[in-house]
Amino acid sequence: MSSINEFYSKEKKESYYETLVKELSSLNKELNAFSTINESINSGYPFSAKDNICVKGFESTASSRILAGYKPAFSATSINKLLSKDFGFLGKTVMDEFGFGSFGVNCETPARNPFNPEYVAGGSSSGAAVAASIMKYHLAIAESTGGSISTPAAFCGVVGFTPTYGTVSRYGLIDYANSLDKIGIISRYAEDIREAFSVIRGEDPLDSTSVGKVPEEKRKDKIIILKEAMEHAEEKVRSSFAGLIGKLENMGYRVEEKSFEPISKAVSIYYIISMAEASTNLAKYTGFKYGYQGEDFTKGYNAFFTEARNKFGEETKRRIILGTFVRGTSVKSKYYGKALRARALIIDGMNKLLGDGYILTPTMPITTPKFTEVKELTPLQSYASDILTIPPNLCGFPHISFPYDYVGGMPLGAQLVSSHFNDNAVIGFAEQWEKQFEYKFRYNLGSL
Amino acid sequence: MKIGLEIHVSLPTKSKLFCSCSNSATEPNSAICEVCMGLPGSKPVLNKGALTVAKRVAEALNMKINERTSFVRKVYFYPDLPKSYQITQLDEPIGTNGHLDIDGKQIHLRRIQLEEDPAKLVRGDDYTLIDFNRSGKPLVEIITEPDIASEDELRSFIAELRSILYYCDIEINEEMKTDLNISGIDSENGERVEVKNITGIAGLTGALRYEITRQSELARKGAKVERETRSYNEAEMRTVSMRKKESDEEYGLIYDADLTEYDLSKVKIEKPIIASRVAHEYASKYGFDPKILLELIMLSKESLLLIDASKGKYPAQAITAGIEYLKKYDKINISKDSFNSLLNLVEKKGMVNKETLEKIEKGEKVESYSGISDEELERTIESMINEKSILLNEYEKNKKVFNFIVGKVAKEKNLDPRYVSEKLNKVLSEKFGLV
Repeated sequence: MSSINEFYSKEKKESYYETLVKELSSLNKELNAFSTINESINSGYPFSAKDNICVKGFESTASSRILAGYKPAFSATSINKLLSKDFGFLGKTVMDEFGFGSFGVNCETPARNPFNPEYVAGGSSSGAAVAASIMKYHLAIAESTGGSISTPAAFCGVVGFTPTYGTVSRYGLIDYANSLDKIGIISRYAEDIREAFSVIRGEDPLDSTSVGKVPEEKRKDKIIILKEAMEHAEEKVRSSFAGLIGKLENMGYRVEEKSFEPISKAVSIYYIISMAEASTNLAKYTGFKYGYQGEDFTKGYNAFFTEARNKFGEETKRRIILGTFVRGTSVKSKYYGKALRARALIIDGMNKLLGDGYILTPTMPITTPKFTEVKELTPLQSYASDILTIPPNLCGFPHISFPYDYVGGMPLGAQLVSSHFNDNAVIGFAEQWEKQFEYKFRYNLGSL
Repeated sequence: MKIGLEIHVSLPTKSKLFCSCSNSATEPNSAICEVCMGLPGSKPVLNKGALTVAKRVAEALNMKINERTSFVRKVYFYPDLPKSYQITQLDEPIGTNGHLDIDGKQIHLRRIQLEEDPAKLVRGDDYTLIDFNRSGKPLVEIITEPDIASEDELRSFIAELRSILYYCDIEINEEMKTDLNISGIDSENGERVEVKNITGIAGLTGALRYEITRQSELARKGAKVERETRSYNEAEMRTVSMRKKESDEEYGLIYDADLTEYDLSKVKIEKPIIASRVAHEYASKYGFDPKILLELIMLSKESLLLIDASKGKYPAQAITAGIEYLKKYDKINISKDSFNSLLNLVEKKGMVNKETLEKIEKGEKVESYSGISDEELERTIESMINEKSILLNEYEKNKKVFNFIVGKVAKEKNLDPRYVSEKLNKVLSEKFGLV
């Protein structure tokens, strides 16, 4: 029985939600998972929304100072769908500003890893993964552009599902990169994800890129390991992953290593496209009509919005500058244009591989880092750590990150990828895995 | 001299280009939503109606229509642009490589693209107000090659374009915005000057005239015409420099991934009507002057049907008068038969008013009117003046008396007052020596 059905079937005290909010608020002081907790929740299966997903009347800032105070007058389609079923809104979760980060540190109050608060929660859906990890019954609605669901899910020991691009409406999502953004789900168990996905998916007249195609469940018995992916993984990850492969072979999967060289270019392609799109999406933040508002109207417009745009964090400024550069007339064909063509080639190549079986990689090539370690990383080192989560995101393939081992008390995640619209197969795979593997959690808020 | 134009005209769709807000609201900021305000989280959804209108215009302008069309973001920062980018088109516009024929010359058209209008800025003394009703309204931009070589050609081109757009249900009027590119007024120093954002047709010719004078003046002084962007001050009827142009502006256009590619080949359109072509066709069919006919069919879209209905039985003047009456009394949708009855009446110089039109519309006979000969009318007028000679004395002092006589005769005989006044003038000068 899924946690969702278990929750509905169990008797709850009248004070259930009050207690949950109280306990959560208290733990949140330590872990910073939530930017807003909805104290008036009084029914439904508790869910949270990443802070870049609009919920009517609740501050939705994408963890950016420039959006401080922005309370949308409309909710994202996915949120409306949950609210129309028996789900209750518990709050907004912290993230890297606008989704720009792999560790959750690019914001004012970074979320902390529930297994050990000295470690990062992973990004950019940091708070969402923490929320799923600390509560017995919880659904974290998150979003991935280049790995923002898989990475924090892996670091926080929960399941993170990123659907095929377009299957969940992006309406109400504060954009990072429109051709890459996907709303997905982080939860403790894959079977809850299956249920939630069936609620939030579907074509939306408000999002032109949404598709109504019903997800497939074409199960494969073959798992492809990418040689190039393993070369990037650090030793601890590789040896632990070898254990996973053994278990999967015991479960009856055929495992085969294949080479796909273009994958090494995926990081560059991804960052060029995502930054180019992001720099246009972020142009609208001029301190004019919502969020942070400039007060000195005696200045010229340029000086006015420049002052407001100082509110952006360092990583955000970096991506705006780089993104503006790569789409500039003189270099556009060299960077942006080339990246678009290369992206098409990678989609084509990976599609062929996926026709044969699932692709499985460690979710991250590294074990969960501490805050102090992340501080030492250069931006390039940080971007490079996305090497395994970027390929499926760049291609819009459905993928799921699930916990498979615990090393030094910290969880490790692996990521399974399949072809477009074979979403229920990756969910099904994780369901099969979790039936014989015991996930560990440190907190169990809201248990019944 | 080489003149190229970038013309922006509004499309008459019900809703805006990317949201369902009304395209025709008047009270400021009454037709706005999260999409046209560019609020975080909102997404554009293309109004397919705009695609239909734009494709029809492209077809009418002899364009090669792209099978697939897509949109890009043009990024610049200005208070009238809520997203700080305008959704427009680049590699896959609606159409390319069209042309318009004017006076036996072909003006080539580079492209036609669909894009959104920015909001409207309303300047006050020390403040600016923004009306977002205009934000997101659909526009087509028509870009010509620099094929226009004179002010006359510019006028002919605009007249031709106006007639074509009119039959695509698009009115070009004072709302039209044009960027005017001119070079080679002095062929030795032919740098390109761009005059941006000119409003209306009068503004366009005004800006061109000013630039011709200014650049000729510079050439006479031996000064160089510099490459620059200027704006047109309509009140002062002159252009002023905005910026010297070292290179093209940088907009960093990229594909707008909130929208998809749209299959234009599946968009069904009504065959466009090329007014000037129809005018020429009817002119030769019914023996009219094509120029008059073109003016006629620009009076109202229904004129085309009506002119064809009259099958050349009546002269152009009668048709013009007939259509003007229909417009005046709001009866333009009259049946073909009724229109012919009306022309018959006009031709017989009968009085046309609301009453008679209503009768004609119902197919009733216009009683008490059976026509009158010129001689008979002249005699009637003459005898009336003779009878009341006092009126004639008054005439010299007071023009009202003239109108009195016209009115009286027209009413008594059920005649067109214009016809009566024409004859009255004749009688006054011929029989009474008054001019």
